[in-house]
Order: sequence, then structure tokens, then C-alpha cells
Amino acid sequence: MEQTFTVAEVPRVPPRSVNRESIISGLWLLCALFAVVIVFFILLFLVWDGLPAFQEIGLVPFLTGTTWSPTFVPPAYGILPLIVGTLLVTIGAMVIAVPLSIATAIYLSELAPYRVKVAVKPAIELLAGIPSVVYGFFGLIVLVEFLRITFQVPSGESMLAGAILLGIMSLPTIISVSEDAIAAVPREFREGSLALGATRWQTIRQVVVPAALSGITAAIILGMGRAIGETMAVLMVTGNAAIIPSPITNVLSPVRTLTGTLGIEMGEVAIGSLHYHALFAVATVLLLITLAVNLGATRILARLNARTTGRKKGVSLRLSGIVDSPQTGKVVLGLLALLVAAVIGAVGGLVSAGAALMVIIVLAFALPRLSRRRSQQLAFLLLYAAVGVVLLILAIILFDIVSKGLPALSWEFLTGSPRDLGRAGGIFPAIVGTLYLVAGSIAFALPLGIGAAIYLVEYRREGRLTRLIRVGVDLLNGTPSIVFGLFGLTFLVLFLGFGVSMLAGQLTLGLMVLPTIIRTTEEALRQVPQGLREGSLALGATRWQTISRVVLGPAAPGIITGTILSIGRAAGETAPILFTAVVFSQRYLPASVFDPVMALPYHLFILATNVPGAETNQYGTALVLILLVSAIYAVAIAVRTRYHTALRL
Amino acid sequence: MKSHSTTLLLLGMAAVVIGALFVAGCTGTGGSATPTPTQAPSTTVPTATTAAIGTPIATVGTASSATTAPATAGTFVSNGAKGKISITGSTTVLPIAQALAEAYQALNAGADIQVSGGGSGVGVQAAGGKTAEIGMSSRDVQDTEKAKYPDLKIIPMARDGIVMIVHPSNDLSSLTLAQIKDIYTGKATSWKDVGGKAQPIVVIGRDSASGTREFFNTKIMGTNATVSTMLEKNSNGGVKSSVAPNPGAIGYVGMGYVDATVKALNISVNGTGIPPTVNNVVTGYYPLSRQLFYLTSGDATGLAKDFIDFTLSPDGQKIVEEQGFVAITRTA
Amino acid sequence: MTMTPTTPETIIETRGLDLWYGPVRALKEIAIPIRANRVTALIGPSGCGKSTLLRCFNRMNDLVPDCRVGGLVLYHGADINDPAYDVVELRKRVGMVFQKPNPFPKSIYENIAYGPRVHGERDRKGLDAIVERSLRQAALWDEVKDRLHESALGLSGGQQQRLCIARTLAVEPDVILMDEPCSALDPLATAKIEDLIDDLKQNYTVIIVTHNMQQAARVSDFTGFMYLGELVEYGETLQVFERPTKELTERYITGRFG
Repeated sequence: MEQTFTVAEVPRVPPRSVNRESIISGLWLLCALFAVVIVFFILLFLVWDGLPAFQEIGLVPFLTGTTWSPTFVPPAYGILPLIVGTLLVTIGAMVIAVPLSIATAIYLSELAPYRVKVAVKPAIELLAGIPSVVYGFFGLIVLVEFLRITFQVPSGESMLAGAILLGIMSLPTIISVSEDAIAAVPREFREGSLALGATRWQTIRQVVVPAALSGITAAIILGMGRAIGETMAVLMVTGNAAIIPSPITNVLSPVRTLTGTLGIEMGEVAIGSLHYHALFAVATVLLLITLAVNLGATRILARLNARTTGRKKGVSLRLSGIVDSPQTGKVVLGLLALLVAAVIGAVGGLVSAGAALMVIIVLAFALPRLSRRRSQQLAFLLLYAAVGVVLLILAIILFDIVSKGLPALSWEFLTGSPRDLGRAGGIFPAIVGTLYLVAGSIAFALPLGIGAAIYLVEYRREGRLTRLIRVGVDLLNGTPSIVFGLFGLTFLVLFLGFGVSMLAGQLTLGLMVLPTIIRTTEEALRQVPQGLREGSLALGATRWQTISRVVLGPAAPGIITGTILSIGRAAGETAPILFTAVVFSQRYLPASVFDPVMALPYHLFILATNVPGAETNQYGTALVLILLVSAIYAVAIAVRTRYHTALRL
Repeated sequence: MKSHSTTLLLLGMAAVVIGALFVAGCTGTGGSATPTPTQAPSTTVPTATTAAIGTPIATVGTASSATTAPATAGTFVSNGAKGKISITGSTTVLPIAQALAEAYQALNAGADIQVSGGGSGVGVQAAGGKTAEIGMSSRDVQDTEKAKYPDLKIIPMARDGIVMIVHPSNDLSSLTLAQIKDIYTGKATSWKDVGGKAQPIVVIGRDSASGTREFFNTKIMGTNATVSTMLEKNSNGGVKSSVAPNPGAIGYVGMGYVDATVKALNISVNGTGIPPTVNNVVTGYYPLSRQLFYLTSGDATGLAKDFIDFTLSPDGQKIVEEQGFVAITRTA
Repeated sequence: MTMTPTTPETIIETRGLDLWYGPVRALKEIAIPIRANRVTALIGPSGCGKSTLLRCFNRMNDLVPDCRVGGLVLYHGADINDPAYDVVELRKRVGMVFQKPNPFPKSIYENIAYGPRVHGERDRKGLDAIVERSLRQAALWDEVKDRLHESALGLSGGQQQRLCIARTLAVEPDVILMDEPCSALDPLATAKIEDLIDDLKQNYTVIIVTHNMQQAARVSDFTGFMYLGELVEYGETLQVFERPTKELTERYITGRFG
């Protein structure tokens, strides 16, 4: 590779390798644009099928109508209750999940002994691999009953049940991604703070968490995407009554979400009817809400960043006046306290509301007066309590599945084909089918996702294009799984003529997990110190050499986390494969990607909903699915742990 | 750097494994275009579907191997059509079709029948759009659908009774249609209003797109709106799971779903409680009975025709009843 | 050095201090007195344990997994490794400046105000005063007074290190530990920091780890020479540099080492 130039002939376009470089960067650009194109297609397709409904019903009556009764004469298509239901359930889920998740992430990253951490983190990620149908059944049988008996209400199917369940379902995403972000905060920051005599808690709260804020926000956005888009579990526990809770703080009222509406009505509705178009209009509204939420979250993130790092002068000065002032903080906290009290009041009457208010007031007065040591103890106590709650939830769910599923496990169950509608026989073809689907979706989404993330982080300064791509990714992340299923049906199965096939399912699932992979990879790349890149570039390495040899290595643990979460999600989802890839039974294993497959979550879904008397095998299937996901996790986690050890040395 | 390269290698290996799985998925077990039998390493367990091609499945004990005897009751003769058909649609019909497929494949070694469910709408679309040979529906095909798929043939293949179910502790044993209507319109809110103890009624029903709901509306609700607080479920199993643990609940499911976890109510007609039995459904004494359908685009041919013939044969209809539904061919 | 009064008080003292990283013994029976309001330099080749010893004085080694400490570290006569000793209080009084400047990803103002805040200062005006005073002490005020609310990460390396010193001063410690504070800086910035150290000893006790023997000679009153985890020689800087008692010391100082 010797190249010598005389001064006169130094080429304006530098040598060969740059050409290769531009090809590579072009490739990553294509990956990144892919997400935007897909979102555009999905939107187009939703709007196209939703348009007749908007035209016939009218935008305003559609959005503000309070009655959803599409089969009544005359039909009523008002989705206000559905919008309210979606917002309530999602906000509720975040109120539950965000504190628990961040506390757990802080514990894992800052307090947990190494051994505890390597045991607990995968266990929590296992929560992501539990199929949503299993969550739904757990919610219906355990949670809903618990709420019904605890609060002495006729039925526990309620907004609260949905919020708790969705909160639990978004825990693993938020915990894993925030933990990675917190762990990536340089040790110097911690040392600098501790050396000033700050307590560990003060260091965590005022230095570590703010420094990890971008990652934590990404985690919350990802988790919220999961909550908004969840279909199968939420429709099992919220009761699906299309009403606005009265009063709005009545968390024990049944509600219906936009996704739930799609999930329960989409399969049965007559194609081409007004009801059908109205459902697509519902999906469009859902996507727009997701867009709004994501843009809002991004904006909040930008402000927080500006405030904590003081990067933008004007903004920071203006904001520090608002946010820093203790009065504003107190007012916000006070309002929050009132809200909590109101909710408790709605549930448990005036007395408990008063009691809660008292506790809050006492805490508000006591906290600032605590010594630093005491407040650290209190904070750590709360952290431990949060971790305890998370682990308890994990234990209850796993115990429920294992204890009910274990009796079904046998050699025949693992290696045989189902008989008598799955009440007897085994689930071997479904195991194989799920492996095919997961492997295919990851093989599709992983290169694409990593490529897109590399482009966003390594090749692009923040600008209009990256913002566009990122909005596309966030939208994709918030797209309900059932919408992916519909898109797969219309585009892959019908338009491209794949038929109901493994390939259609793999691509649909791949699209669904793509945003998780892009987001987590992006975060991981961003955490790699700039010095490493500069060091490599300064040695004359090309950009791609630098990325592939220096940057990707340290970023690998984060990328693997994203992959793990994706595998879990792809393995457990029903909605995207429902219309695109699966059959309940087939005589032969699929011979090509154009054959349909059996899959564990779908098998489970049919057993649970339409085969009477299959309870044992239903839980057995869930258990096998979890074991399968755990086995895949084990490999990925082993790789990740090796990386961590390698980086530590 | 050494440890780095080993870990990179590990990651690469993981990628290869994933890739290999994917390739395996593409090429199937044999890599050939002809279907390979499901190869489960469980030859020790001689279950029918895990055995090689040609071994009849004996899931339903009655299906004896066919001879040249005429199609009298108890012996269906397959036309021996080979190949693969796909049946999709209503999840209510799915268990029947699946049981039929299992029995049929035992008779016809060359048949591969793939059953899946997505809902009646999916069934109509799949049959009409010819992505599946046979669609399944638990509701009548609607006008918009008939307009879109004018070739659609509708074949009634089973009857189903809709049963009102309550918690086992509920001391009521029957309701009149009017009382059911009062409950579902929200006029009656306590069990006391319909002759039970003072306890709030938790009303559970099917989603508005479902065939069962449509049927229920036609038979009971008329032009009255359903109470807005009704909890909606998208499957029979879902309704049953919600009713089973809840002492105040009432719901409706297909006959096949009634088991010991719930209590089935009789429908009171002129003071007589009529239980949801097969006979009462056939005779029409039980007021809440409906039909289930197969759908095809044009007249079915080959394997699909043979399977439909099997369904409507005495053997097939026997299986329908074994699954808790009522034979379409049965007469009072 | 010439102004050194006789018999200054000993503020920190180690007795038989041992430290292990896992199976590796990094410090061997160190006994060193640190005089109040003086600058003590720790010199020695890389890996000799001088930074480890420095981190013993504010128990920064607590953060290192598998690290065990034996022997005594006395601060004002109290054993700081006693479990009952409040390490947070210790670190408030024994501040530290690190080798690599490590400002927090916050504004300049917030970096300085951080320490007082965590120690309970709430009053905005009080904080403003502390920030200005600390930045002036660290000779940084004039350079940054117009951009206090911009990110500290935008400062140059030398400025960042002076910011870190100012951040330490804002907590009003007794002792300031400096772990090769100039190793990442240019000569001009180094000179500024050295001037600063000279000013600081009016009010503070300074312990500085340095690779640069000229620097040690320039800024310190006492010098300890360490080699392979042992304190080979300790004494007044003038004595250590001009009349070392150990041959090892002499060889190291004169550059005839290894």
C-alpha cells in the first residue's frame, strides 16, 4: 500500500480507501433511512385505510365523540374514551415503572456487589422474554383478583390493572437500558464528587444520574413505547369498556385503550366496512399520539441536558431560573402529592386520602431536616425496597408459570407434535418455529439496526437528517405490535405475495425489534469515549477501521443488551405473527421460508383463548417459551459478561 | 487487546450460530422442495403425527382405515387428494377444524392441513382473496364482504349454542331473555333485580366485531344499546376466564366452553328453564343457537373439497359434537 | 521553604500502613508524618505506590474492589479507617485534585457550587460568594466570570484543572491532596498551578504526588521518596534533594536509576 506523491500531483480526492469508506458510510445511511421509509410506509398504509373513516365520520366527531359502538344501529365511532384510556394506562404504567426501574438500575450499577449484579440483571431481563399473553393471563388470574378483593370492587379489571401490568412489562427495558447508561458514567465523576465529601447518595443523585440522563431518557422512551404499543396483555385486564372513568381519578374504572380496540376487533371485522376503516383511523391516531409523546420526551431531554451541562447559554440561563428555583420544585412536588392523595382518595375514601396527605406532609417537612447520613440511609432503603418489589414481582410471575407449567413438561411434550388440539402431545414444531422466527428476525434487524446506529452516531453530526431518522425510529418503537401485524399482512403477505409465511413473520418481527436495537446501539456507541476514536484516527486508521476495531468492542455490551431485549420480545409476541406467519397446526416442519410455521406464543394464545381444557399444556407452553428465551439469553449474557471482564482488565 | 479479540471472536461465533439457524430455517430439514415429515426424535413415543408419512393418525378412535365399503355412517372414504391446504379464520371454529384436520390426516396420508385463526374477518378475507383454501366464520358474511368477494361460497358446518355463564356460587339457575336484556342494557345492576342476592352484577361480553356478539345482539338486545361499563373480551376463553373467579359476573360463551369452573344458566321460557343441551339446540327449544361456517372462493376442489366432504360426513359431524358443538346434519 | 518556621504541627500521620490489592501488597509499613500548612511531595517511579498512599489519606481506595488496608492512618490523631469514622466528613476536610481534570458535566458555576450544596448551603447569595471566592483563589475568576453558566467541559485542560482546584477549595478543606495535577498540562498552565500551590499553603496543607522532580523541589517543603511500595526516604525537601541519606534516593534524583 505504498503511495508516494510529489507535491505537484497530490490528488484532490485522497486515496483509494476513502472510496471504500464512502461506500460503507452510504451503506449505513441506507440502513438508517430504512427505518424512516418503513415508518413512512406504515403511516401511508394506515392513513390510506383510515381515510374513508375520517371522511365519513368527520375528524371532530371521531376524535371527540364519547361513544364507541360500531355495531349498534346507528353506529357510533367516538374514540375520546379510547384516547383517554390509552393515556391513563400509559401514564399510570410510567408512574409505576419509572421510579422502580431507575431505583433498580441505580442499585444494580452503584450499590450491588458484582455477583448480585450478574445474577439479578439477567433475571430482570428475563421479564422481557415472558410472552405478553402470559402476562395477560397472570394479570387476569392473579392481579385482577387481587385488586377485586383488596379494593372490594365488583371487578378488578380496570385501568389500575392495566397500568400495573404494563408497568411490569416495561420494567426490563427501562432497567436494562438505564443501568447500561449509569454504568457508563466515567469513574472520575464519582471520585471527584466523593472527594469533595459528598455522600454516595448525593453523588448518585447529583452527578451520576444527571450524567446518565440521556441514556435514562432513552430507556424511558423505549419503555413507554412498549407500554403504548402493547396489545395482547392490556386487553385482557382493562375490561375494555369504552368509557371515560368518572371521576377521571377513579383508577378502578374499566377503560379501553386504542391498542385493545385494535386487538379485539381487528380480527373479526368485515374487511372494507366502515368499522374496518375506523379501526385503521384508530391506529393512525395511536401513531400520532406516539409521535407527540416522543417529541415531547425528546424536548424534555434536550432541556434537561441543557440545564445539567449548561451547554446552551441562553436556554440554561432561562431554565436555571425556572427549574433551579426551589419554589418551583416545591410547587411541583406539592401538586404531585395532591394528585397521589386524590388517587388514593378515589380508591379508598376520604380517610385514607387524609392519611396519605399527612404522611406526605410529614415527609416533606422531615426530609430536608434529615442529616445527610440519615437521608442517604432513607434513600438507600427506598432503593432496596424498589429492588425488592421488582424481584418480588419477578418471583411471583415465575412461580406462577413454573408451578403450573411444570406438570406438563415431559419428553413427549418437548419432542412430539400436538394432538387433540394441543391438549395432548407435544409442542416440538412450535419450538422449532419460534427459533426460526427469532433467528430470522434478529438476523434481519441486527445488521440493519447496528448499521443505522453507526450512521447516526459515527457519521453524522446532529442535524435535520438525524432528527428525522430518530423521529422515525421512535415512531417505529411506539408502533403497536398489532399494527406491525396488519402492515405485515397487507404489505408482505398480500402485496409482495409472500403468503402467510415464515419470511413474512421474520420480517415483521424484525421491524418490530429494530428500534430497540437502534436505540440501544446508539446509546452504547455514544458512551465510547471520544479519545478512543481520536487515538485511532490519529494513527491513520480510516473511519471504518476505527469503528470496527476500536469503537464496536467497548460498545458491544450495550449492543448485546439491545439484542437480548429484542430476542425476548420477538420470541414472546403474538400480534405481529398472528396474521403473517403462523398456523395452529401443520403436518410437517416448514420446508422453506415461504411455508407458515407454528410458534409458541401463538400456540399459547389459541390454547388460552379457544381450546377449553388445555390449561396444563397452556402453562407448559409458557414455561418452555421462557426456558427457550432464557437459554438464548444465557449465551448472550455470557458474551456480555466476557466483554465487561475484558474491558475491566 | 488479546482479550478483546477473543471476545470479538465469541460474538462472531454467536452471529454465525444465529445465521446458521436462519439458513436452517430457509432450507428446512432436508433442503428439498418436497415436504419432510416432522422429524421429532421421539421414535420411542409412537404418537401418530411424529411418525413417518403414511402412518395413519389414530387420534379419534373411530376412524378405522377405509375400505371400498359405501359411505355408510362411521366410514368416510377419502378421494385421496394430496397436497397442502390452509384453513384460517374464526377462532371459535378453529378447535373444530383442528380436530377434523387431525382425524382427516389419519385417513389421507398425503394431506397436509394447516389450521390457523385470526378472526372471522380474516377468514372471509383469506377465502375471498384465496390466500387460504377454506375460511372459517362464526358470523354471517356481511354485505360489504359479499360485494368484495362475489364468488364466496358459504357452507354451514356446525351449530353452536350460546350459554349464559355465572360464578359457581351464584344461586340463580335460570334467567328469562328479558332479564338477560335488562342486565346487558344496564337496567338491572344488582343480582337482586333478577331474583338473586344483593350483589352488583359484573357484565361481561364479547367485542363488538365478534360473531357471537352480533348474534347475541340480534337475539336479545334488539335495538337497545349495551351498558357502557360492560367488560369486553375477544374470545370465549377470555370471557370464561373473567367469569370464573368473579362472584358477581355474568358472561356468554359457546357451548364447548362450559366446564366446572363456571355455572351454566338455563333460559327460562314461559316459566320453564331450558338447559343448553344438544337436543334443545337442535330442536330450537333453546333460544340461543347459531350456525358456524366454512367459506370458499367458488366451489371447492381437490383436497379442500374432500376435507369439506369429510366435515359434513357422519364421521366429521361426530367430531364436531365431540368438541362440544352440535352437528349441522342432526335433526330433531 | 526558607520561611518554614520550626516544628510545624503534624496533621496526618501513618503508622505501619499496609495495603493490598487482592494478593498484591502495594504499600509496605509506611510511616510518614504530614505537616500542617506545608507542602509535602511524594516522588518515585511509576507503580511505586505514591498515588495509592495519597488515596489512603481520604480513603479513596474504598472504591477499589478487593482493596484491604492495615496499620493506621491518623488525621488529627483519629484513626480514619475506624468503621465509626465518618468518611464523608473526612473527605470534606481532606480534598482531592485528580491527575486528569474531571469537571462534572455541568456548568462552571454548578461545578463549584456542587460541594457547598451537598454540605447544606442553600442560600443563592452565599453560593454566589463562594463561587467567586473559590474561582479567585484558583486564579480562574477573570477568565471565566462572564461564562459561569456555560459548560465546564468547554474549558481548556489547564482551566479545567484549576476549576477542579477551585471546586475543592469551595468546600474549605484542611488538606488538599493532588495526584499529579500537572501531568496533563502545558508548562504555562503548570506554572500557574505551581504558583497556586504556593499561595495555598498559607491556609491549607498540601500533599502532591508528582513525577516531576523539579516541581517537587520547587513547590514542596517536605519530600517523601517511594520505591516498590516502601517509603525509602522522607525529610525536608532541601535535605532530600541535596543530601539524600539513601543511595537509592540519590540515584533516582540524579537520574541514574534502573
